[in-house]
Amino acid sequence: MDILHGIELGLHTALTWHALLYCLIGVSVGTFVGVLPGIGALAAISLALPLTYYLDPTDALIMLAGIFYGAQYGGSTASILLNLPGTATAAITCLDGYPLAQQGKAPLAIFVTAINSFVGSTFAIILVMGFAPLIAEFALKFGAADYFAVILLGLVAASTMTLGSPFKALGMVVFGLALGMVGTDVNTGQFRFTFGVFELADGFSIVALAMGLFGVAEIIANIGQPAGVMQAVGKIRFRDMLPTRKEWKVITWPTLRGSAIGSFVGALPGTGPGIASLMAYAVEKRISKHPETFGKGALEGISAPEAANNASVQAAFIPTLSLGIPGDAVVAVLMGAMILHGITPGPNLINEQPQMFWGLIMSFWVGNLLLLVLNIPLIGMWVKLLSVPYRMLYPCVLIFICLGVYSANNNVFDIFVVLGFGILGYLMRRTGFPATPVLLGFILGPLLEENFRRAMLLSKGDLMVFFESPISAVFMGLSLLFIASVFLPGLRARLSRRAPKASE
Amino acid sequence: MTRIIKRQFLKGLGALALAMTAGLSAPLAQAAEGFPDKPITIVVPFPPGGSTDLLARKIGESLAASLGQPVVVENRGGAGGTVGANYVAKSDPDGYTLLMGVTGSNAISAALRDDLPYNPVTDFAPVSIVISSPLALVVNADSAFQSVGDVITYAKENPDTFTHGTPGVGTSMHMAGELFALDSGTTLVHVPYKGSAAALQDLLGGRIDAMFGDILVTSEYIEAGRLRALGVTGTQEHYLLKGVPTIAEAGLPGYAAVSWQGLFAPAGTPDDVLATLYGAIEAALQTEDLQALFRERGFLVEGMDPATSKAFIADEVAKWTKVVDAAGLKQ
Repeated sequence: MDILHGIELGLHTALTWHALLYCLIGVSVGTFVGVLPGIGALAAISLALPLTYYLDPTDALIMLAGIFYGAQYGGSTASILLNLPGTATAAITCLDGYPLAQQGKAPLAIFVTAINSFVGSTFAIILVMGFAPLIAEFALKFGAADYFAVILLGLVAASTMTLGSPFKALGMVVFGLALGMVGTDVNTGQFRFTFGVFELADGFSIVALAMGLFGVAEIIANIGQPAGVMQAVGKIRFRDMLPTRKEWKVITWPTLRGSAIGSFVGALPGTGPGIASLMAYAVEKRISKHPETFGKGALEGISAPEAANNASVQAAFIPTLSLGIPGDAVVAVLMGAMILHGITPGPNLINEQPQMFWGLIMSFWVGNLLLLVLNIPLIGMWVKLLSVPYRMLYPCVLIFICLGVYSANNNVFDIFVVLGFGILGYLMRRTGFPATPVLLGFILGPLLEENFRRAMLLSKGDLMVFFESPISAVFMGLSLLFIASVFLPGLRARLSRRAPKASE
Repeated sequence: MTRIIKRQFLKGLGALALAMTAGLSAPLAQAAEGFPDKPITIVVPFPPGGSTDLLARKIGESLAASLGQPVVVENRGGAGGTVGANYVAKSDPDGYTLLMGVTGSNAISAALRDDLPYNPVTDFAPVSIVISSPLALVVNADSAFQSVGDVITYAKENPDTFTHGTPGVGTSMHMAGELFALDSGTTLVHVPYKGSAAALQDLLGGRIDAMFGDILVTSEYIEAGRLRALGVTGTQEHYLLKGVPTIAEAGLPGYAAVSWQGLFAPAGTPDDVLATLYGAIEAALQTEDLQALFRERGFLVEGMDPATSKAFIADEVAKWTKVVDAAGLKQ
């Protein structure tokens, strides 16, 4: 079926009143859970899934997918306004979003992230429409060695990310890697570093870690602040939100680069929006002419990751819909929803269920437009949140965080974990240890280890496998380039100082 | 879930009164008096959306209708189903907290692990092994392996070379592979993944040789010409894979490894409560609705009674203990 035919068929499905209604419900719920700290897309979809058992399968999927990408829009709002990530993937947006809000540019920052999100989504949806099977076949070529190389590049790129002492940052990456080791060892099934605590058999939950280190720590840090820190919020005019011509220029390329990185990461099964936004931020900072502005309210620092996480979420549908292999944990639940409705995702899905495939894709357009329309008028309302006194706001936020962390697995233990990481995060702040590298090590470490060991298992211990696979070799080369770009300027400076001596 | 509850509100009072005075319509010898008089929780030890979740919700719906009390399904995922199983093992043995257990959480783990805070066998009173499903030994369609015999010959000539991917250590797919190695006198390379989708990805990409996979999922790829099924692990041909021999027929006489799912109560639950629950399951399994759903999903209806289920589990644990010991996998 050609694309035009598909679009027509998809619009017929996506523009029925019930599809529109479920799409609207989905994206609204998504925005809402995205904004609420702690409750993310995975928890919301898990809760909503049973309700969809009785819906038409296409409507059910449209709604659940809407929650998924809608949450990516909302996630940045709390990061910007309160320095509390709305979803685990939006933690990186705190770095530059919150400083922008402190400079009184909160409306602008939220407007920009809405635009970034829309562009990122659009970019990835076009890829899904035009090239889904092609991209999925390419993604199938990625083996364990290739994954290892991609993730290594991510780790190398991101290691240049933080402000302050590089030794403290490095120490925190290692700490994150160590935290990621806790849990069941994939290769042997042994419980590692669980210290007899059975609840740790699955390791720490990423939501509990991110919400603790970023969210709860922020709340603790604000205990005892005089009520006077509240910002006086006047009337928000549309003019305050709109970027100037110069600001549009600043965000254009980071947004597009973020979209591309997000689409790539999203299309690779087993990764996800968290990795996409980390990588996009790292790359942006690396290639920026003004890396020193990052962390102090650089618009590029919110544009790239926000575009990346939305692109990643939409691109995650590429392997799911064209091969039946879920792009990340949330899409895996969506795939479960399809199976419940008697549709088994596999390589024939697009041909056998063209109405569902195209209906879903067209609903992405509808949903993203709805989100843009929904989110821009809401900016004024969100910014008003700042005028709510901390003593009322923070207890509510704390409850939401606990609710969100609990609802992921219905496990009380996770609440203690999030509170523990909250206290730890606060102590780290007081002593100048950054939290982002911990998150980085925690997310990338287990993937790095798993793929390294699998690559070794399959190659019978031959390390050359990382350079023999062309994909892996390319990414290993990029990692080397990255490292070289860090050391070369210093090296060149030293060489040029020596050069005159040599000519004497 | 809400619909179950809503339906209960509509039908509930009448049905309850009827059930209490006239006794349940199902052929129950010694139904527990007054049970249930409050909502029942079925714990699914996996996140929503999987086959165990589906089974629990469908069975829950039927139980709610026939027992006259709402049935709530609670997902408590983690560590291959053992976190949820542990929760139910520690719950009151009154029949109000039940587990939708699987091969991994309630039999293989008993053979494999000493480090669980619960005993997968003695801490539970099975209500019924509800369904079973064999697995399919699949290879990439481009692979040279055409039959189970090819695999055995190759693996014998090349020890520690033939790779099979699984969703993790201690899953029924892993055990099916270890049993295959034990029965055929070969050594295979076990390549564990986090979940079956990642293993499938490597199988489709030609990086691993084979996989013991879910029948329904693999049948899609077989139809599409991407994978080839060499055998099924059950004792007879499966209706979703017509023409594919059992592994026993294809060269390993006596080989059988199925995954199953069943409802479990904590040990110490009174026999009459188990009987009431089993009666409701037995009745539910007769309905055309559930049978059609199970057929679509590739399940075989078992519906074993509590005593049969208990004996079945004992057999399973003995079988997997043998395999675990032979492969040296004990944790």
